[in-house]
Amino acid sequence: MYYFVSENIFAYNSGTEHAQAKRVQFFNREHQQNRLGQAAYVTRDYNRFLNRDATAVGLNNDEVVNMYDYFQGTTNVPRKKQHLRLLPQLPLDRYHIVGHGPNYSTVEDKGRVIARINVMPATVGLVNDITYYDRADNITVRENFDWRGFKSSVDYFHQDGQLAVQQFLNLAGDPVIEITHMNINGQLLPSMYKLKNYLGHDYRFNSQEQLFLFFLNEITRQQADITLISDRRGLDHVVAAVQGTVHKYAYLHGIHVGNVKHPVRGKLYDAYTNVLERYGQAFTAILVSTSDQQKDLKSRYPELTIKGAPDISLSSVVLNKAPITLQTRQLHQLIVVGRLSPEKRPEQALRVLAKVIKTIPDATLVYYGYAASQEVMDDLQTLAQKLAVTDHVTFGGYVSEEKLQQAYQQAQIILQPSIAESFGMNLVEAMSCGTPAISYDVPYGTQALIDDGHNGYIVPEGSSNAMAQKAIDLLSDDNLWAQMSAAAYVKSHNFADDKTTKLWQNIFK
Amino acid sequence: MNFFINATMPDHKSGIEHAELKRLALFNKNNEAAKLVLCDWDPNGHITANQAGIQDEQIINLFDYFQEASHVATKLIQVQDIEYGVLDAQYTDDPSNSRYLVTANNQLIARVNYKQNDTRPVKSIEWFDGFNNLYCVDHYDARGFVSLKQWYTADNKIGTETWQTPTGRVVIEAFHKQTMRGDMQKTNWRLIDRQHKCQQFDTQTELITYFFDCLNEDYWSLDHPNVFVVDRSHLGDQALLQLKKPAYTAFHLHNAHTADAQNPEAPLFNNNYEFALNVIDGYDAVISATHKQTADVRTRLHPKAQLFTIPVGVVSDRLLTAPRVPLADRQFGKMVVFARIAWEKNLDDLVRAIGIVHQEVPQVTLDLYGYPDPNENYKAQHEVEAVIAEYGLEDVVTLKGYTTDIDAVQNKAMMYGLTSHMEGFNLAIMEAISHGLIAFSYDVNYGPNEIVADGVNGAVVPYGDYQALSVAILEVLRDPILAEKYMTGAYESAERYSEASVWQAWEKLLSDAQNSWATKIAAMPGYRGG
Repeated sequence: MYYFVSENIFAYNSGTEHAQAKRVQFFNREHQQNRLGQAAYVTRDYNRFLNRDATAVGLNNDEVVNMYDYFQGTTNVPRKKQHLRLLPQLPLDRYHIVGHGPNYSTVEDKGRVIARINVMPATVGLVNDITYYDRADNITVRENFDWRGFKSSVDYFHQDGQLAVQQFLNLAGDPVIEITHMNINGQLLPSMYKLKNYLGHDYRFNSQEQLFLFFLNEITRQQADITLISDRRGLDHVVAAVQGTVHKYAYLHGIHVGNVKHPVRGKLYDAYTNVLERYGQAFTAILVSTSDQQKDLKSRYPELTIKGAPDISLSSVVLNKAPITLQTRQLHQLIVVGRLSPEKRPEQALRVLAKVIKTIPDATLVYYGYAASQEVMDDLQTLAQKLAVTDHVTFGGYVSEEKLQQAYQQAQIILQPSIAESFGMNLVEAMSCGTPAISYDVPYGTQALIDDGHNGYIVPEGSSNAMAQKAIDLLSDDNLWAQMSAAAYVKSHNFADDKTTKLWQNIFK
Repeated sequence: MNFFINATMPDHKSGIEHAELKRLALFNKNNEAAKLVLCDWDPNGHITANQAGIQDEQIINLFDYFQEASHVATKLIQVQDIEYGVLDAQYTDDPSNSRYLVTANNQLIARVNYKQNDTRPVKSIEWFDGFNNLYCVDHYDARGFVSLKQWYTADNKIGTETWQTPTGRVVIEAFHKQTMRGDMQKTNWRLIDRQHKCQQFDTQTELITYFFDCLNEDYWSLDHPNVFVVDRSHLGDQALLQLKKPAYTAFHLHNAHTADAQNPEAPLFNNNYEFALNVIDGYDAVISATHKQTADVRTRLHPKAQLFTIPVGVVSDRLLTAPRVPLADRQFGKMVVFARIAWEKNLDDLVRAIGIVHQEVPQVTLDLYGYPDPNENYKAQHEVEAVIAEYGLEDVVTLKGYTTDIDAVQNKAMMYGLTSHMEGFNLAIMEAISHGLIAFSYDVNYGPNEIVADGVNGAVVPYGDYQALSVAILEVLRDPILAEKYMTGAYESAERYSEASVWQAWEKLLSDAQNSWATKIAAMPGYRGG
């Protein structure tokens, strides 16, 4: 069994979560062929929406293990839609439920509001949480429901309304984890994590991290042949401390230095200190996506074992799809796929677009990905206005896997303007849809994924002129585009399951 | 089902608890089902009730009921049985505080408070987090499970209280919150009931009301009413008016109903009964222990509620059939009293009377059996001692302390005296006459002036007149024939409190409940017969 250890799965995920989820799917595809072990995505954080969020990234129940669910005994509970008006706990012979639009209802006793039921986001009338009030309208208790329709936790509050006690329940309603919030150096913080009646005993921890280490030790101790892969830099030291297995790896989803020009001598990002310097020896190997990064890390840390294998692997189903021709695509559409944040340099794509429009007036640009902050979004919109390209730009937001596939298939070119990419899952996915890529010449993924002039272009770092020129070349020559699209399909076969499996088998050898 | 409502059944019982115990025994003997309904949380409740001879089957405590803890086998939990959640917990005994300090790695984990006896069962645990905050106190039921958890606020006050099942599922929560005036109050109760429904209450009284509805539903029958007898007014005087479905409700007076017990027309009611007496017709029945009180209530309030006189004391068949002890076998001039040495017992007056008697009959003696009341630094006892000194009665009056050996003491004595300020009934004087003691009492409401029948089993003298009391005592001590007559009268008048007599009184109430039932359910909304 392979556990890929992370903090959470979110409604809006970054590449790390997506990569981890895709790796789980890949392992489990190969597991059915007995070529790789079974894998699951392990998360630490309490997330009542985990089932929804995991489903959205293509994982099923067996493929996700959350610490809280594990102790609550709710890992494999099927979803039941729990309408707030059908809640068994509400005595409707005593109280009225009064609706107030789509977002909430109140529970009223002779006209007095005694509780408020919030509706689960993006559902019709399913219960999200119930907050009860006393006669002075203080919040007394909040009951939180899981996406799957059961009461998952209960919160009590201090006088000032701050959280006092959180109780996490099993399906019978017994608290199995208690988190107490008390003063630590004068600040109200979680001060006690108590695991109750776990295999007949109680355990107490000063932090969630200690509880998580206990959990990892438990799940590794209980089965033979467990392999852990640490996917989050914030958890490396925890995985390093696990004693239940010696098979421990860390997968680096980013570049380890801020200054990408000096990967061997440049200052290490603080987040990588634990995995590469403090606890490096605890890992059987440290894994990266590209051979370039592997080489740099080997030079930098000769005492560590550094190995390479991509996260993303393409199934035969994906690879054997019929090619999408230019006719069915949105002509002259450029896309950028990724989080809108400074290190991704999304504004560069706007500058490229402005230049492309001068030659190809109907060119358009669509962004897919959530904005890291409102400020980033505001800046982009301001710049689009300044460049007079607003009518040519669409912010498509964070979309589902399925919609993203459609986006790749509709577009003519994918642009990659990032400062750096350790890999570039977006480019692999685009290639598998026959969409050529144009990227700045940045480490590490670009060189591994783009054969310049074949399945796309690599242009000088930071030159929006060069990127625009290559885009114009490609958009104005349908034959050239068709050749490159075909080459993209071919290149994507480099990431076929068969090939990736060999790399991973080599790692675990 | 017949329900007797009280707060708890503690070790130290007042007259109300004794009355309930006698009543329960009487119902049991007559095969009439009855249960003690207790409304207060009491971690020792089952143990003390069992010790008083009540089986778990006859106790329904509100908290137990929702905690699913009505029947729990007692398990001894000691300091080493607790899950501390740490490896290598160290226990340090702190006997002067009856607790262990539990540490791990020099960190205080918990203070475990134990009951001071050989086995040191755990009473409560104060829990500390890793940052030395007291964050929670677990209170153990004496049967060996955590019953109540009190969660602390950051500034060290009780915030939320949770009561849980023996398996740990929270079923009752109480919240201490700030009110609009800024002070902290218990502002809310939330119950997760036995059907897992969440019910919310502003006060414990509302919770109690809901609890009574649950009981009424559990034992509901179209053929027979449930009978609720409320023995402590604050627990049920409002709740019984608000039951969802009909029941037969009875309000039990255990004391004088006016603030001035001697004056049944006094403007102020006894505070405890003020509410109930103002809505007296909201109940089906009002019970008092004496005919005199029943008559006074009737005269004052003209209620439509049925009034029943049911003595709260029962003289057992064993006593009634025991061989009578002749006067000759008793110590001449020996008076005994079984009462706490307390202000309301006014025993200094009795000692004064004895002081006067002693001037003529030096053989007279008085033995006082009972705990001294520690209030105001044993003021009542000091007053008694002052009178003893004043009359020089050091060899005549003896403070004997508490005894349970009533038969032996009373069978050797001759007289019993009572000079209380007020009484609800007074079981002691009833027991005295059943042992053939000649009783002398002030004309005190309610009980003594009915149990003691002037000229039959002793004398009733004007309230507060200890000289009259001494005259009555002297009269008996001078006249052996009169003494013989009163002693026989005492034995015979005890028949009024025989099990059969008291049960007959209860049967009247129960048949009134049964007779009114058809009408009651006919008036129930939604009821169309069948």
